[in-house]
Amino acid sequence: MNRLIGFQTLVWREIVRFFTVAIQTLLPPLVSSFLYIFIFGLSLGKRMGELHGVPYLQFMLPGMIMMYVIESAYQNTSSSLFISRWANYIEELLVTPLSYTEMVFAIIFGGLVRSMLIAAGVFGVASVFVNLPWAHPLLVFYFLILVSLTFSCLGMIVALIAEEFEHLSIATTFLITPLVFFGGVFHSIEMLPAKLQVVSQFNPMFYMINGLRYSFLGVSDAPIAGCMLVVAALFVLLFAGTVLMFRSGYKLRK
Amino acid sequence: MQAVEIKNLSKFYGKFRALDKLSFEVKEGDFFGFLGPNGAGKTTAIRVLTGLANYKEGDVRVFGHDVIKEYRKTRSLIGLVPQEFNFDPFFSAEWILRLEGGYFGMGTKEAKQRAEELLKMLNLWEKRDQDYKKLSGGMKRRLLIARALMHRPKLLILDEPTAGVDIELRFELWEFLRKLNREGTTLILTTHYIEEAEQLCDTISVIHEGRMLTVEKKNDLVRKMYHGEIELETKQALAEIPQELLSLGAVYDFKTRRLKLMQANGVLNTALKILVGAGIEIEKVEVREPKLEEAFLKLIREKKS
Repeated sequence: MNRLIGFQTLVWREIVRFFTVAIQTLLPPLVSSFLYIFIFGLSLGKRMGELHGVPYLQFMLPGMIMMYVIESAYQNTSSSLFISRWANYIEELLVTPLSYTEMVFAIIFGGLVRSMLIAAGVFGVASVFVNLPWAHPLLVFYFLILVSLTFSCLGMIVALIAEEFEHLSIATTFLITPLVFFGGVFHSIEMLPAKLQVVSQFNPMFYMINGLRYSFLGVSDAPIAGCMLVVAALFVLLFAGTVLMFRSGYKLRK
Repeated sequence: MQAVEIKNLSKFYGKFRALDKLSFEVKEGDFFGFLGPNGAGKTTAIRVLTGLANYKEGDVRVFGHDVIKEYRKTRSLIGLVPQEFNFDPFFSAEWILRLEGGYFGMGTKEAKQRAEELLKMLNLWEKRDQDYKKLSGGMKRRLLIARALMHRPKLLILDEPTAGVDIELRFELWEFLRKLNREGTTLILTTHYIEEAEQLCDTISVIHEGRMLTVEKKNDLVRKMYHGEIELETKQALAEIPQELLSLGAVYDFKTRRLKLMQANGVLNTALKILVGAGIEIEKVEVREPKLEEAFLKLIREKKS
């Protein structure tokens, strides 16, 4: 028996799942990213001038890509795992010889693929209007991949804790979206009062968005080493948490 | 080699003790019936074996491997046919099987071949492209069995496999399971249809309130628990019962003119001789074979009282 096959099969299953509902999973970010680019970038952006020496549309794009990566990674794993728990077909997976780490890895890999496709799509839509300079290409992938995996883990954790569908969107509405917006998708913290600048630094999304901004543009509100560290630490923490939950059987093995 | 060894397995749901120091073994190659009233703990024990439920007390082994420490090994040896349909709703019947093969480490080609083989064997080939939700109840049951067999498990566990299945299909499935067993697969079957266990199983266990009441060869259990009955109807009501019959344990109902005796070797012969010797005419003779159902009910009733 080849150990990799089980893992690959589950990754494939996760990818097929979101492709079969592509209208709900892949298309909406492309439409809404176009709207953001049009309204904030092309219309209002002209009045904003430059931030950190780059035109506003360029400034907001990395943040926007990160926002979609975060949302889509979270949505993919949270709905995939929650529905499988809710309809009980998670048991089909739990009786297989995949290790718990393999299960978690495969499911977050599904989230990674979906969010990377969306990142590429948003990037493609944006490319029509503006060029991003790719200041540090390797760092672009470092941030995109680690942040995607981190929120894939968060999606799984919430899917395990949740008792109803609406619990999944509660986390999006009250935690993820506010933190992403306050994290500086559309603004630099230099534009905020001093106290809020300090508060912003406790928001992990601030480091993700600025990390990617630095990778693309070479400008950031936060030191790049700090951004890299926060992103890596969060991933390790949430991944370990997810594997531990699977291993302990929390809400899975009653 | 024991296919299953469970020792002192206890499991609680809150304060409710679902399994209470449950212990039993299933020999390799056995067709093992796991009977008990609703809520006795059958499904819980199966969930522990297959990794769908945790436990804190006890020792559970499958072909000598610990189901917690060596879960990957034990899960690769077990095929589970669950009570409820739990198919992945995003895939067709064939792909449900092929995915299952993949999870168990089968390559694409091998999984495709095995899926085809099983779909044909279980008369599902025509429906291979259908969404499982569009299959009939009986087809879904067969698909559950096919899925459990994808990786050629050494131990197949069936939790109420014929619930809601019509008689014809039930007979077909019985034949299919017998064949699997003859070919060397160890089977554990829980069922509400005692007749099913009687037809299929070599060993019968009865679980009640999380404890094992008995594990015995089917025939021994039936004989031990319930001996069968002989009923003789006399043409005329007897004035009195011959003493020799009373010493055989006979009971006579003067109204129905029926004489009841426990079945045992030579009892019928002796009773007939006595009756004929006493000049009593017999109108009807009925011999009721021992039934597992009666043994089962007796066991449960004894436990309750």
